[in-house]
Amino acid sequence: MLLARGLSKTYESGGNAFTALKNINLKIDAGDCLAIIGKSGSGKSTLMHLLACLDAPSSGEIVFEGKNVAAYTERQKDRFRNEKFGFVFQQFFLNGRDTVLENVTLPLKIRGVSGLESRVKGLRVLDMVGLADKADNRAKDLSGGEKQRVCIARALVGEPKVLFADEPTGNLDSANSEAIENLLFDLNRKHGVAIVIVTHDADLADKCSRVIELRDGEIVAEKISVVEQEVINEYV
Amino acid sequence: MNTFEIIKTANKNLWRHKLRTFLTVSAIFVGAFTLTMTNGLGDGLRDYIENQVKNIEGNNVLFVRKKFETENKDAPKTDAPAEYKETVQDEAGNMIDPNTVLATLPQMETLIKEIPEIKTITPSYRIDGEYITLDGSKKYQLELGMLSEGVTQKAEAGKTIDGENQIMLPLSLARAFDENIKNLVGKTATIAYKVGQNGEIKTQNLQIVGVATKGFMSNYNSFVDAKTARAIYEDQSRNNQFFNQFGNFTFLLTTGEAKRVGEIKKALDAKGFSAETIADQKKRTYNGIAIFQLGMNLFALVALLAASFGVINTLIIAVMERTKEIGLQKALGMSRGKVFLLFTLEAVLIGFWGAVLGIAAAFGVGQIVNLYAARELFSSFEGFQLLIFLPQSVLIVVALVCGITFVSGVLPALRASRLNPIEALRYE
Repeated sequence: MLLARGLSKTYESGGNAFTALKNINLKIDAGDCLAIIGKSGSGKSTLMHLLACLDAPSSGEIVFEGKNVAAYTERQKDRFRNEKFGFVFQQFFLNGRDTVLENVTLPLKIRGVSGLESRVKGLRVLDMVGLADKADNRAKDLSGGEKQRVCIARALVGEPKVLFADEPTGNLDSANSEAIENLLFDLNRKHGVAIVIVTHDADLADKCSRVIELRDGEIVAEKISVVEQEVINEYV
Repeated sequence: MNTFEIIKTANKNLWRHKLRTFLTVSAIFVGAFTLTMTNGLGDGLRDYIENQVKNIEGNNVLFVRKKFETENKDAPKTDAPAEYKETVQDEAGNMIDPNTVLATLPQMETLIKEIPEIKTITPSYRIDGEYITLDGSKKYQLELGMLSEGVTQKAEAGKTIDGENQIMLPLSLARAFDENIKNLVGKTATIAYKVGQNGEIKTQNLQIVGVATKGFMSNYNSFVDAKTARAIYEDQSRNNQFFNQFGNFTFLLTTGEAKRVGEIKKALDAKGFSAETIADQKKRTYNGIAIFQLGMNLFALVALLAASFGVINTLIIAVMERTKEIGLQKALGMSRGKVFLLFTLEAVLIGFWGAVLGIAAAFGVGQIVNLYAARELFSSFEGFQLLIFLPQSVLIVVALVCGITFVSGVLPALRASRLNPIEALRYE
């Protein structure tokens, strides 16, 4: 479904070129649960940003359902991200003055979905994360774990194909972390949404069905079936 | 996000910091208030003048006077005293005194020989009335005026002057004689005027031909025809030093065609006279008002300009405060254009609220000022409103203020729209 081919990213500043990613090939299928691990500076966040079309690669392609989305215009990318991807960050980025429901339905508002429809969809995803009763509370009144669940609901409300989670448990205590992890895996299993988790937490990564490890911008280890790797190699 | 949602969101964002927004709106408010007031003053003046002059008509009439020395473009622009010039004689044998702006009727009448389209020349006779009475009624004080030949005055009843021994009454006077002013038309009124040093009173019977519509002159003046005016003038001014010398003349032309009238104006100009049609006079007056209005508006615009910097400042702070939020919105697929629109609309809303409040305040103050002005200052000017708020002027103020604030919003909005979502989300 989502395919990275020969993906490289080089930052240039004042004549110094720094290569953050080198020739990454990666395939993510519908329903995958992929963890990207590595030390800070290994390029894992950059890879996620490229896969999620938040940043443009220096070379290489990102193919989604047969189309090279890296070549999209800014506007097409915006629309594409809105429709196909969901995002959960380490920080919550909730608007504390707005209600939980208003925060959750933000992607639908950006998409231009009508108020009633987005309310229905918002309540449905809030129910999925177990916060339907807090829909009309102010977001600032929630606990940390609840806030992250609101973020997951926000990532899901647009019915994405891929959910990108950047250190989703980084700001939570262990009890809340576990709850969030379980929620994510649960959603992955029950609803078939592919999940890409960027983390340096080895325990979290181990719970994912696939793990790739980055070091100095290259994939150094991949927990992936041999058959799948051959398919990719053939394709590339 | 559709436009309505963006407006809603922009308005919501605007009131997150109520005090800050209130202060920024206040600055715009001051500008919008001033602009509405200055516009209102200009429109009030224009409306007043329009009401006064619209009743006087005539497209084949020229108002002529001798040009002042300073109107000569070749004259040196110094404050040196004007040189005395000896009286000269023109081809027709008229003695012409170059030191005065007054001209004699015979001197003017020689012009007819050169410009055949001049039908009649009526000098502006200064005449003073004493009283007027009708059918032995009460006597009323009389303000006398003259309608030059060719000039028509709109009438509420009857018609304008078109012959000899005629009079047109002002509305208030006509009502005093008879509430049903139509009854007056055709009746004979007796007017009286003083003659000579001893104040001997002479009377004359005149036929009432009409009742004048209200206006600048016709509010108080009873108009008589030029021949009647001439007779009164001769009675009253025969022994005056300046008898038969006049500052202003009214030319009735046989043509009203704009091109030919223009040529005649030029010909008169070459002979040292300035000539204006009624349209020219109105234009000059309106131009004067427009320049006055523009000048006043400049002050208001300076206030708005100052306020616009406040808008820029407020929005730059808002962009900084909301960097992460913008980053999230962009990550979730909000386009650059929408982000730009969100912030420019926020700026426009500041302008909009400022303009609405400013205009509302101007309306309120205008009502009070008009009441006061009508009672204390201009009680003798019937129908005068010092401030008039025309819908189009008000709309222009709203549009202008919104436009200025939009431009103010461009810089912060560009900053917001150009934010890189990844960097914005990391912003501390």
